[in-house]
Amino acid sequence: MKPAAFEFCRPSTLEEALAALQHDDAKILAGGQSLVPMMNFRLVRPERLVDINNLSDLCDIRDEGDAIRIGALVRHAQAAASTELCGAFPIVTEAMAHVAHVAIRNRGTIGGSLAHADPSAEWPLLITLLDGEIEIAGSDGTRIVGAEEFFFAPLVTAIEETEILVSIKLQKPTAGTGMAFTEVAQRAGDFAVVAAAATVHTKNGLITRARLALGGVGDFPLRMKDVEEKLEGMPPDAIDEAIRGCADVLEPNDDMHASSHYRRSLVPTLASRVLKQAAIRAAGVT
Amino acid sequence: MNDVSSQRGVDSIPSKISRPKYIGEPVQRLEDPRLLTGAGRFTSDIRLERMVHLAFVRSDQAHAKISEIDFGDALEMPGVLAIYTAGDFTDIPDISAPSRMKNYHATHCPVLARDVVRYVGEPVAVVVATDRYLAEDAATSIVVEYEPLGASSNVDGALAAGAVQLHDDVPGNLVLERVFATGEAPEQIAAASHVVEGRFRLKRKSPLAMENRAYVVDYDRGRDALTLYGSTQIPGVVRDELSRLLGMPGNRIRVVAPDVGGGFGGKGSIYPEEILVVAIARRLARPVKYVSDRLEDLTSTSQGFDEVVKARLAFDDDGTFIALEAEVIGDIGAYSIYPWTAALEPVQVASFLPGPYRTPHYWGRVRAVCTPKPPTGPYRGVGRPMAVFALERLVDKAAAHLGMDRAEIRRRNLVRPEEFPHRIGSGIIWNRSGFMECLEAAVETIDYAGFKKRQEAARKEGRWIGQGIGTYAELTGIGSRIAVAPGMPINTGSETATVRIDATGAVVAMFATASHGQSLETTLAQIVAEELGVRPEDVQIMQGDTAVAVHGTGTYASRSAVIGGGAAIKSTRSLLTKVKRVAGRLFDVDPDRVETGDGEIFVPGTNHRIRFADLARAVYSDMATLPLDARETLESQESFDPYLGTTTSSTHIAEVEIDPETLAIRLTRFVVAEDCGKMINPQVVDGQVHGGVAQGVGVALLEELQYDETGQLLSASLADYLIPTSAEVPHIEVIHLETELPDNPGGFRGMGEGGTIGAPAAIANAVADALAHLDLDITELPITPSKLHRLIVDKRATKDME
Repeated sequence: MKPAAFEFCRPSTLEEALAALQHDDAKILAGGQSLVPMMNFRLVRPERLVDINNLSDLCDIRDEGDAIRIGALVRHAQAAASTELCGAFPIVTEAMAHVAHVAIRNRGTIGGSLAHADPSAEWPLLITLLDGEIEIAGSDGTRIVGAEEFFFAPLVTAIEETEILVSIKLQKPTAGTGMAFTEVAQRAGDFAVVAAAATVHTKNGLITRARLALGGVGDFPLRMKDVEEKLEGMPPDAIDEAIRGCADVLEPNDDMHASSHYRRSLVPTLASRVLKQAAIRAAGVT
Repeated sequence: MNDVSSQRGVDSIPSKISRPKYIGEPVQRLEDPRLLTGAGRFTSDIRLERMVHLAFVRSDQAHAKISEIDFGDALEMPGVLAIYTAGDFTDIPDISAPSRMKNYHATHCPVLARDVVRYVGEPVAVVVATDRYLAEDAATSIVVEYEPLGASSNVDGALAAGAVQLHDDVPGNLVLERVFATGEAPEQIAAASHVVEGRFRLKRKSPLAMENRAYVVDYDRGRDALTLYGSTQIPGVVRDELSRLLGMPGNRIRVVAPDVGGGFGGKGSIYPEEILVVAIARRLARPVKYVSDRLEDLTSTSQGFDEVVKARLAFDDDGTFIALEAEVIGDIGAYSIYPWTAALEPVQVASFLPGPYRTPHYWGRVRAVCTPKPPTGPYRGVGRPMAVFALERLVDKAAAHLGMDRAEIRRRNLVRPEEFPHRIGSGIIWNRSGFMECLEAAVETIDYAGFKKRQEAARKEGRWIGQGIGTYAELTGIGSRIAVAPGMPINTGSETATVRIDATGAVVAMFATASHGQSLETTLAQIVAEELGVRPEDVQIMQGDTAVAVHGTGTYASRSAVIGGGAAIKSTRSLLTKVKRVAGRLFDVDPDRVETGDGEIFVPGTNHRIRFADLARAVYSDMATLPLDARETLESQESFDPYLGTTTSSTHIAEVEIDPETLAIRLTRFVVAEDCGKMINPQVVDGQVHGGVAQGVGVALLEELQYDETGQLLSASLADYLIPTSAEVPHIEVIHLETELPDNPGGFRGMGEGGTIGAPAAIANAVADALAHLDLDITELPITPSKLHRLIVDKRATKDME
């Protein structure tokens, strides 16, 4: 379990990093929490490793007024401790407690989690839920990809091999929005068997807008738009009715930890829990 | 004079019956300062001049003929010194574990696969290079061509008529068949008015020590002598077998187990890699290092359990057990491991199955079946976790069948205090131990009586909670009459201790044990200190090194405190006699009046008082003090063999809560009441119980080596092979009982494995209890939320059909 030989470079600017990626077989090293184990197993054998940890512009969380911008190199622990981010999105605090363990949260980055695109991971689910905008830099400049266009398949995203994920922009929620996150995992800190996250905006006791996203039940996190539409204008009491049957269209994977059937059985439970919790919180913040 | 003994005066209570100073006290672990500050020395820390590294090419096929091994350009790659295959080691005999048991067929395991591979992970070739990275680079460029030979990866297929045979000399893939019978179990069951039955399965498990297996060999070319540093539990066994396999006398082979990061049985057998590092070091006349990685650990370290038990229990209207019948099938993997043989685990299942109960009739058949998977070997609890799981489920089912309380049915059948010694149907003899007392203590502590009400109230709120009992007895500190593994031709029943006082007055005690987490450096030091009259921190315990012991097998099978501790007491007492004789001469008093304590030698009621250093100087250095005939050798060596074993007993009670929607299983409470005789160090006993229960939690809820039908391991990393973390292990309440001390030198009973023995059964019973309203049976461990979901769905389907 030792990696094959590779060339290592550590650029100090985005331009240098992009130039270093102009290579047949280069990989970006951020927190290394997924890439390095894969290299140790020799499942990936990049010829060149481009360590972007010196790109200090990518390390910040910035309040831009109506939005929060999260640099790609922000660590999970840093996100969980950020008053700007967690103030606007309390769901981040809740979700970060499920991201692996302290040591991994100290090293792993948000950009790395998104670029790795594990269908059960927390950040892809949050970004999907919150309609994040992902800023990707390439040699021709930067482009913005919406969360729904970002994930293609397990471990496959819109990022080209010569591009770098630079930041994620999240629009701040309007007042009266509640959020909730929950997941079922084999053990504390494991990848979710199924994860669910919701935001609910209420006014005068009625849901004006709801969002529901699920992880672990498809190739990438899924927005449950049917449910969201059904809930518009409804009281929170209607949540269970709105989610009825929503799992029927899903075809989660069977693996050694959980059957497809079991995963599907978790969907209504977790969806109901996060929507109801979010609705309660929404009522609390108006 | 402020000495307590002196104040008491010469004629007051003799010190030998005064309260022990160190035995029974929570003495801080002497290992801790070095291990907690990163100053331990593990095998992997050893770096020697000119040392070379190994990487293995391992089979990616379960059962196949090796048709070609193509080195490609591996030999020309940077840093590569040599590549070896089976043909390079024709001088080393195959590893084979003999046994005197009838119907046993030994297997022959070459150090590198010869012509045929028998499990995924079996070593096929080995690369020697100047570092591990380069060795792995070369290993990955070696291509092995295989012709698949079939062979079923499960026991049903392996036992089927006409099944592909894994070994030519193991007919029908049956390594062993053995029957235990007392009375007329089949007839009694046929005639009984009440019978419960079940088919129970414990899945295959990895010992998973934190430290992977590692070996370093330092070869002395000038003397043709070698030192093997290795992460082993059995340095003495390794030394003896290396001597035989390599044709070298033992005085040129030294095996050292330095700090070892856990074993749990996985480091208790001989491995091909262990022999190869030695052979290669000798061939190249260079130090050789091999540190296995986690993937190799999961695929080539001995594995545990993997059994199916079909059992029936007959009882009368009062719940009195009449007869037990069992079919045990063990999937032992590809080879019968040395020295224990593949019989160890499944035979122990059948021999411990009658448990701590009076069941007059017993019939149990064991079959050990080989399949193309890694060999199984000892794992903490050996056989008993499976036996206790199966039996305790049957006991709960019997209680449910009669509508009887689950504690009450146990009370009615446990061997009662006045009934010891009691021989169970498999022939094991239980001596007095707290069977009933442990049950009562656990039941009282956890408020068993109040639980039914709590459970009913919780069910009304839509919450599923359950409580489960696991009660068991085990044999520990097993002497030479019984032997740890049946029919095994090595002696695991004795230990020798050498205790000496050197010229500085310092105390060294030497053992053939090999502590790898058991705290023996502390507990053995407590014993020697207690007996000799020094402080534990003054005693240096040397063990895990064949240079300090002529014979001895190591640390496993809950034996070291009982047998090593017994030898320590005998040797230290013998040394103390010499100390008193010398001191008597120095003080000119009768040696019987001499006492020792806190590192001093004195005569109560007098001003005679010297330190051990003064005594040593008088004996060794100051030749003017003692006449020639009084200069004792301040060293004693005694052996201890308990001949039989001592009975340890315990009751575990678990409480669980299951989320009715997600089916997540949470352990909410765990109580252990155990009788391990006299505790040497309660803190160490607690630690062993906690660790054992944590592993039992893994057995019950998480750990499973999953193989597909072609024999490929699916759970080949710690992302997929799930061990419990601190978040999954509840607070564990431990109650210690000393009902009646066993008749051995210290009154000690072994307790290192017990946590893993009782916990799976208690948790399985608790889960079944939580789901009692759904009428579900828990028959396979680990039980996971996904498997529970399957059970519930199947149950609903069956009900709908009806």
